[in-house]
Amino acid sequence: MAAQTAVRSVEDLDTTVVDADFHLTEGIEEIRPYVDGPMRKMLVGASAYSGGVDPYPSSGDLHPSVVTGRTRVFNEEKLETPADVREGMDLLGTDRVSLDPGIQLALGMVHHDQVAAALATAYNEYLLDTFLDEDDDLYGSAVVAPQRPDLAVEEIDDRAGESSVAAVFLPSGGVNPPLGDRRYDPIYEACERADLPLLLHNVAGGAMTSFPIQHQAFGRHMPTHVVAHPMQHMVNLSHMMTTGVPERFPDLRLVFQEAGLGWVPYLLNRLDYEFYGQRQDAPVLERPPSEYVDEQWYFTSQPVEGMDKPGYVAQTIRLMGEDNLMFASDYPHHDFDHADDLLRQLTGEFDREAIEAIFGGTATEVYRFR
Amino acid sequence: MTTDADAERGPTRHYVVDEGDLDEGERVLVEVEGREIGVFNVDGELYALANHCAHMGGPVCEGGLMGYFTADDDGDLRYERDGEILACPWHGWEFDVETGAHIAGSKYRLPTYDVTVEDGEIYVFA
Repeated sequence: MAAQTAVRSVEDLDTTVVDADFHLTEGIEEIRPYVDGPMRKMLVGASAYSGGVDPYPSSGDLHPSVVTGRTRVFNEEKLETPADVREGMDLLGTDRVSLDPGIQLALGMVHHDQVAAALATAYNEYLLDTFLDEDDDLYGSAVVAPQRPDLAVEEIDDRAGESSVAAVFLPSGGVNPPLGDRRYDPIYEACERADLPLLLHNVAGGAMTSFPIQHQAFGRHMPTHVVAHPMQHMVNLSHMMTTGVPERFPDLRLVFQEAGLGWVPYLLNRLDYEFYGQRQDAPVLERPPSEYVDEQWYFTSQPVEGMDKPGYVAQTIRLMGEDNLMFASDYPHHDFDHADDLLRQLTGEFDREAIEAIFGGTATEVYRFR
Repeated sequence: MTTDADAERGPTRHYVVDEGDLDEGERVLVEVEGREIGVFNVDGELYALANHCAHMGGPVCEGGLMGYFTADDDGDLRYERDGEILACPWHGWEFDVETGAHIAGSKYRLPTYDVTVEDGEIYVFA
C-alpha cells in the first residue's frame, strides 16, 4: 500500500479548496437602496413608517451567544467589501467561496409575495455591485423568492449569463407549501436550463413555526411518517434537556420509542456541541447532554433503518450507545421488525453480553417487571 | 526534542509588563517562545491563559470578559461572576479565567500559566 502523507492543513491539498456556504451579513439597510420598481414605494416609501419597515420575519428566538455579545465574528464585524470576504477566507484557509446571503435566509417567509421577489432582485444587484463585480475571483449564489416562482424563473434566466453566479439560492426555511409542490417546478426547470445547482438553506426559528402548516401540504403519509417520529422526539428530547428534566428528576427512566436509530447519535452530538458554545440556554445542566442520556434515557429499535446497507446498523448502534438500546417490534403495526432480523445485523459485531442486553437485559432493568 | 535537562529547568520566567500598566479589568497579550499568552488583571488577581481556544484555535484572550448565566431552582436565569468568564470571540465558548476550565464541562480546557510580580514587574512562567 502506498504511504499516505499526513496533510495537516487544507492549504496543502492539491485542489481548489471551496467553501460551499460562506455568508454575507446584509440586512435591510444594505438592500433597501437596490429595491427598484413599484415595490420601492412599498419598502422605501415616502413616509417614515414605510421607510422603516423591516420585511424579514423572525420567530423571535434569541441566539444567546450573539445577543449577549460573546461572539464578535458575525455580529459585530459586518462584511462590507471583497477585502472583508478575503479576510474570512484567509482565516479559514480556503481558495474559493460561493457567497450566500445574510438576512435573505428569511426571504422565504416574507409575507408579501411581490415584495419578496423584489428583495431577491435587489439582493442580487447588491451582491454583484458590492462583491462580484469588484473582485473577479469571487462567486456568489443568486437568490430567488419561492413566493413567486414565475418571477424566480425570470431572476434565474437574468442571472444565468453572469459568470460570477455559481448557484441559485432558495431560502427554504418556512417555505409554504414545502418544496415538492408542483408550483415550484418552473424553478427547478430554470436551474436545469442554466446548469446551476439549487441551494436550499433554512433559518432555524422560522422553519420551526412552519412545520404544522407544512404538514397540511404534505398530502401523503410517507413524508409525515418518516419525518414526524424522529422530529417529535428531537423536539421533546431537546426541550426536556434544555429545561433540565434530568437534573430535576435524576431517577426518571425515559424511553423514546419507534423512531429508528440514526437520529439519536446525530441529535446527541448536536446537543453536546451546541451546549459547549451556548450553555447559557441550558444552565440547569451540570454536564453535557449526552452524559445524562447515557445514564438514564433509552431508545427502542424499531423501525431499524439501513438493514440493507452492510455495516450501517451496527455502526449506528455503536454511535448511539448499545447500552441504551432495547429491541422492539412494533407488532402488529404495518412496519413491525422481526427480532431475528435485527439479531442477524448484530451477530459478529457485538459480544454476546451486549446482544443479550439489547434483546432483553436492558429492558428487564428499565421496565418494572415483578 | 525535550531533554531531561529541559524538563528539570521547567518553565522559564518571561517579563510581561510593569504592574502599574495593567489595571484591574485590563489585559495584555504577549508572545512567549512562539506562543501567544493573555495576562489578565481581574480584581487585582493576575491570570495567564493561552490565546488559542481549545475548541477551534480562535483568539480566546481577545474575547469578552464577562459573567455567565446560571439558573435558580425554578430555572430562572441569574447572571454571576461578572468579569471572570472569558468568551471566545469565534464561537462564544466560555472559560473560567482563573482555571481555564470550559464552563460547559467538555474535555476542553485552556492552558494556564503561573504569574508572579517582582519589584513591580509582572512575569509569566511558560
